[in-house]
Amino acid sequence: MSINLLVPIVFNGLSLSAIYVLVALGFTLVFGIMRVINFAHGEFAMMGGFALLFFYSQLGLPYWLALPLVAPTVGLFGLVAERLVFRPLYAQELPSMIAGLGLSVALADGAVVLFDVHQRNIPSPFDDILTISGFTFPEDRVVVMVVAVAALIAFWLFVQYTAIGLALRTVAQDREMAEAQGIDTSATYRITFFLATGLAGLGGALFAQIYALSPYMGLVPLVKAFTIVIIGGLGSVPGAALGGVLLGMSESFLNTFYGASMAQFASFGAIILLLILRPWGLLGRPEV
Amino acid sequence: MSELLQVQDIQKRFGALQAIELLRFSLNEGEILGIIGPNGAGKTTAINLISGMMRPDNGRVFFAEEDVTGMSPHVLVNRGLVRTFQATTVYQDQTVRENVLRGAYAKAYPGLLKSLWRGAQGLSPAEETFIDDLLAQLGLAEMAPLTARNLPYGHQKVLGLAIALAAQPRLMMLDEPAAGLAHDEVVHLEGVIRRANASGISMLVVDHNMRFISTLCQRVVVLHHGAELATGTPREVTRDQRVIEAYLGTPHEPA
Amino acid sequence: MQPVSVSMALPGQARQRVLRWVLIGILAAALLIWPLFTHDLFYTHIATLVLLYCIGAASLHLLVRLGQLSLCHAAFMGIGGYTSALLTTRLGWPFLPAFVASAIVPGVVALALGPILLRLRGVYFVMITYSFGELVRLLFNEWQSLTGGADGIFHIPPPHPFFATSREYYYFALVMAALCVGFTGRILSSQTGRFIDSIRESERLAQSSGVPVLRFKVMVFVLSCGLVGMQGSLMAHYIHYLSPGAFGFSESLNFLVFNVIGGMQTLAGPIIGAVFLVSLPEVLRGWVELQRVIYGVILIVVMLYAPGGLVMIGRRTLELLPIGRGGGS
Repeated sequence: MSINLLVPIVFNGLSLSAIYVLVALGFTLVFGIMRVINFAHGEFAMMGGFALLFFYSQLGLPYWLALPLVAPTVGLFGLVAERLVFRPLYAQELPSMIAGLGLSVALADGAVVLFDVHQRNIPSPFDDILTISGFTFPEDRVVVMVVAVAALIAFWLFVQYTAIGLALRTVAQDREMAEAQGIDTSATYRITFFLATGLAGLGGALFAQIYALSPYMGLVPLVKAFTIVIIGGLGSVPGAALGGVLLGMSESFLNTFYGASMAQFASFGAIILLLILRPWGLLGRPEV
Repeated sequence: MSELLQVQDIQKRFGALQAIELLRFSLNEGEILGIIGPNGAGKTTAINLISGMMRPDNGRVFFAEEDVTGMSPHVLVNRGLVRTFQATTVYQDQTVRENVLRGAYAKAYPGLLKSLWRGAQGLSPAEETFIDDLLAQLGLAEMAPLTARNLPYGHQKVLGLAIALAAQPRLMMLDEPAAGLAHDEVVHLEGVIRRANASGISMLVVDHNMRFISTLCQRVVVLHHGAELATGTPREVTRDQRVIEAYLGTPHEPA
Repeated sequence: MQPVSVSMALPGQARQRVLRWVLIGILAAALLIWPLFTHDLFYTHIATLVLLYCIGAASLHLLVRLGQLSLCHAAFMGIGGYTSALLTTRLGWPFLPAFVASAIVPGVVALALGPILLRLRGVYFVMITYSFGELVRLLFNEWQSLTGGADGIFHIPPPHPFFATSREYYYFALVMAALCVGFTGRILSSQTGRFIDSIRESERLAQSSGVPVLRFKVMVFVLSCGLVGMQGSLMAHYIHYLSPGAFGFSESLNFLVFNVIGGMQTLAGPIIGAVFLVSLPEVLRGWVELQRVIYGVILIVVMLYAPGGLVMIGRRTLELLPIGRGGGS
């Protein structure tokens, strides 16, 4: 394969991966720590898109202020949802799943009522094309990658080097033990949900900027997150990173050579195979 | 005396751990055989391998002179080989009576079409008596209408035994039946096991409690690191130097 | 003690049984008669949809009772629907054999896949069925020479010219739904149903009592998928049109939601769930904008305040009334 073909494919794959990892990270975090499969995850991504639209296009804030504001804003909505919907249903796998589904429908169609169903665009301040040694890179994609990588590094540092991060890791390992050590699990759940929805919001804002913004856009990020955590292992953070990169790259390759539907076939086929052979994912742990 | 169960050099490995290493023993028709060993000696794995819940990597298991290695648990139950579990395993949300009934019914499944034809069916008088007798024998008669989860722990363990007995086994394998029971509950349990044995059911009892095993069993197999260390009467094996070392060598000494 | 009256003489269980048959009789009569008193065909249309969805909801209930929550139920409905639609439109088969095939083909697919899929439990089963469901939907979409792709299949004939109108089809659907739901009820109340519950409650105990667990699961899976395939066929021949969009993830979730909202403990649950949730959007016609929002909020509220589903609310209400007392169970 010629390098002329390879570079754009890899570049495209990496920018897809960056967004995918952002969205999937929150999804896997909520499962790993709270044991909740959050079907409303995609709607928080959608909220991120509308938050960016509001801060940047409507309030006219500078882009580098508007974009970072998205995450905590969506995170706050996440906290409200956690309090009203998920907290009363802790440790109940199925009811919390169905309630999350209800939340997903209510949020998406609530957004239709508020903002109307039509698609809109968030104009990017970066519409240049960078040219590096003959290769062209759309500037907005580069920005997306930079933002996603920065967010992921910030997240990693937070989890690795703060006391709260340690508490999160302990709860994810063994909830009962964490409680025995005096960790307030309910507080870690709140933080988890805040982080997860905030990351989803950021991912959604970037997604909306590259593609389009609409109330029903949440389904795609949800499906991607679902796919990624199956690949990487449900609840595994490194798994979400690996899964996101694998999915982003393979979609980019298969899309270019075989078309979008073939890419989808391949990813679902691979997932089914993986679930049969290794249901806990590439980097997950088998449950006893 | 004929040998009902023959275990011939079975092996089982989990990753790097050799859980069962060339285990060999046999059980005579009508006897109560004990398998004893410290935690982690491979007792539960041995039962899982014999009962068909897992397949041995190597070696053979014969039951009633038939090679049953790797057969599914439900097939073995129909042959008369039934097990119980270490943790209390009962249908928590069902009544005591329904629990026992489920144990008895599974063997007699008539197939999908027949079961649809019959619909919701009651028990025949003979079956009613069988269940009632069983409940009475195990001291559960008064609790028959109670929901299993409301029973005290000891009674839940006995109920687990009752479910297994309801399948009318030839050989019953009990995985740590006395674990977590109070003294008088253990005495009651011993009575239940003896009576079942007297009615013709052979028993394989796995435990780490030497006193419990010695009062029940004629013969004991001592398991250590997945292999047979010694076999003999309870008196013989407790005097065996290798057994003493194996037990004293481990920090958790048998309760 | 001397029996004072006949009803007093009946033991609790028998009295409940009589009560139940009386209720079923009243319900059947009501379902048969009401369309004759309305001229608004819209209501018969909604009622027909409700009846057809009852088949799918009840069939998924078999899997729910087994403890396996499937997210590819709509895919099997699609397999049934496409089978019957293609056989009638392309090969000119009459309805009846095509209808039979619409149960057999999904059943055979389930038989082939069941031993693989059903080895997984809990969340892993949810994930693999989700993936399989999406794969099937993609297949409907992409295999254009066979399925017509995203456009779908048009002009699917009614089962019989007599059932071409809404009211007649309602009666047809009523009979089919009664048969399918009755069949499901029969399974659950038989010895087979007792094993299904045993497997959900404790798989290894059931296994060590002699239940061939995997074989049983596959059998139930085949029955369940065959039944929902029939719904697919009945839907196709009712709306005369079929497209991949109707068999995706959200449709599969709907079937699960019927079960959860209605109640997962008894067969009445999914039926009540389907009746409630299929007709709800129509009841909310006045609030077109907020319809789906209310639907979502109801899901949340039921999970928070009535985790046993609508059946539990109904049962508790009944217990407060004199008629439901006594008999016990």
